[in-house]
Amino acid sequence: MRLFVATIRKLVRRPATFITFGLLVGLMALIFVAVGATARQQPSASAQEAALLLVTFPGAYAFIISFILGLGGLFGVIYGAAIAGSEWTWGTLKAAVARGESRSRYQLWSFGAIALMLGIGLLGAFLVGVLVAIVGASLAGVSTAGLGDSTSLGQLPELLARGWLGIVEEGALGFAIATVARSQLAGVGVGIAVYFAEQFVTFFLPDIVKFLPFNAASAVVAVSGSGFGDSGGTQFARLDPNAALIVVALWLIGALVLTSLFTERAEISG
Amino acid sequence: MTPTDGLALATRGLEKRYGPRVALAGLDLSVPTGVVYGFLGPNGAGKTTTMRLLTGLIHPDAGTIEILGQPFRRGDRRRLYQVGALIETPSFYPYLSGRENLRALAATGAHTSNRRVEELLELVGLRDRARDKVQGYSLGMKQRLGIAAALLSDPRLLLLDEPANGLDPAGIVAMRETLRHLASIGKTVFISSHVLGEVQQLADMVGIIAAGQLVREGQIDQLLEGEGVVRVRVAPDELESATRILHALAGDGAIAPVDGEEGWLSIRIEPGRAAEVNRALALAGVYASGLETGSDLESLFLALTAGAPSASHEGTFFGLAGSTKTDSTPAGPTNWLGGGGAA
Repeated sequence: MRLFVATIRKLVRRPATFITFGLLVGLMALIFVAVGATARQQPSASAQEAALLLVTFPGAYAFIISFILGLGGLFGVIYGAAIAGSEWTWGTLKAAVARGESRSRYQLWSFGAIALMLGIGLLGAFLVGVLVAIVGASLAGVSTAGLGDSTSLGQLPELLARGWLGIVEEGALGFAIATVARSQLAGVGVGIAVYFAEQFVTFFLPDIVKFLPFNAASAVVAVSGSGFGDSGGTQFARLDPNAALIVVALWLIGALVLTSLFTERAEISG
Repeated sequence: MTPTDGLALATRGLEKRYGPRVALAGLDLSVPTGVVYGFLGPNGAGKTTTMRLLTGLIHPDAGTIEILGQPFRRGDRRRLYQVGALIETPSFYPYLSGRENLRALAATGAHTSNRRVEELLELVGLRDRARDKVQGYSLGMKQRLGIAAALLSDPRLLLLDEPANGLDPAGIVAMRETLRHLASIGKTVFISSHVLGEVQQLADMVGIIAAGQLVREGQIDQLLEGEGVVRVRVAPDELESATRILHALAGDGAIAPVDGEEGWLSIRIEPGRAAEVNRALALAGVYASGLETGSDLESLFLALTAGAPSASHEGTFFGLAGSTKTDSTPAGPTNWLGGGGAA
């Protein structure tokens, strides 16, 4: 437990934590403000309607969550890779192992702390998203009466919990990649490459891609009929949210097992 | 196999390969309890590989390790709770302060209190800079923090890789006193170093490694017996007569010209007999224009390792033979607070 608390303390002070969170909410704020400011200036009525929907509650909740799971997934991979990779790059894993710390315990508690930080980040980003959506709505002259829609609000805790699992899985993937790469830079680079490679695979393996980690993570909150988690434009069938949950759990466990096994067997020479 | 009773650290037949390269080829170390042990060897001889093996960072291909009288194998990580180590460069989170780094490290391995962290910051003279981020520390300050990190769990066995690296003279003196004090209270200090003068001042025992094997191990005083050297300079046209005179004094095979230094002769004789050398020459009408003495580890080290190819073929300056001057350690204040310098 002291390892978990110590890692939380490290992450709270770490610039990567704030940079990742800041980039995510900054981009989200930019999009909502831009949409709110320009929604009424769209050339066609259908485009105007679509833009206004993004800042109209309760539908805006859906867009906020899907945005966080989409771009946030990339940031989750980068964050996980940055934390795991730096342990090798800075030699801090070496120092812990030389003190007799269990390698896998160290990695798993470290990832536990990352998972908590991702949860806090998800919640924080969601709250910021709601605030900037309200700003966007007021810029667009749209009523915010739907903010208190009880059906949507009732779904939020479960959706946020599912979204957290999705982001944690993406973070675990970055964590595992950087561990195998033994490098912060290589881990982040490969993590980003894997993220975009999965989007690219969509064109060639539409039946397979839904089982891949990022698509499965997005699918965990795709509640049919509510519009949650479906950002539109997908060219392939998504997994059912509950099936996606299982796939995400498998990817998560697989990534952590890989991390543990690799760390246990690694020759630490840096 | 040599018995390992009473040893703080012992390796027997330790072997390690990196692909085709042999890093250790059957290393047998015997480090008694309560000594400062200097572990010496040229670059690439296998010192750092040994350190990594002793701390479980890598695993041997063959051979055994005993730490504090117990076998140390894969899975025996708790044995390291009684070991403190500084391997290669000190490893810290650059964005955290010195204090936060020590606390983060204290959360791993053996339980360590915050009070211990404060004591160590005081010991290594970093209390005033403990709140500053490590990325702003000088090399010497990082080294001090690394030594503090190695001492966190009040270890019975301390493994230090080049501990004087980056320390200023005052820091070196203070470190030496700290390590001597630790040995005096029964702890064992194992130091890998290139600074032979420093090891000679600090260590009770040395082990010299070359090409992955131990070539000499023992009490430093005993090893240096017979390693004394007196060097004398005479006029080049008097070299022959000087050699004849000194043969009579030191015996056959004890006299040799110093390569690359015209007029210099090296005499393998106790340094305390330097005046006798001078007198013998003067009585025969040969006047020395230079006289140097040395009974140093450097001579022994070079004798044992010169020409021994390093396992990694590192560290040889081809064409620069004969440069053997040892670093000396200036006197200075005897506490860690005397220097260190901010970055």
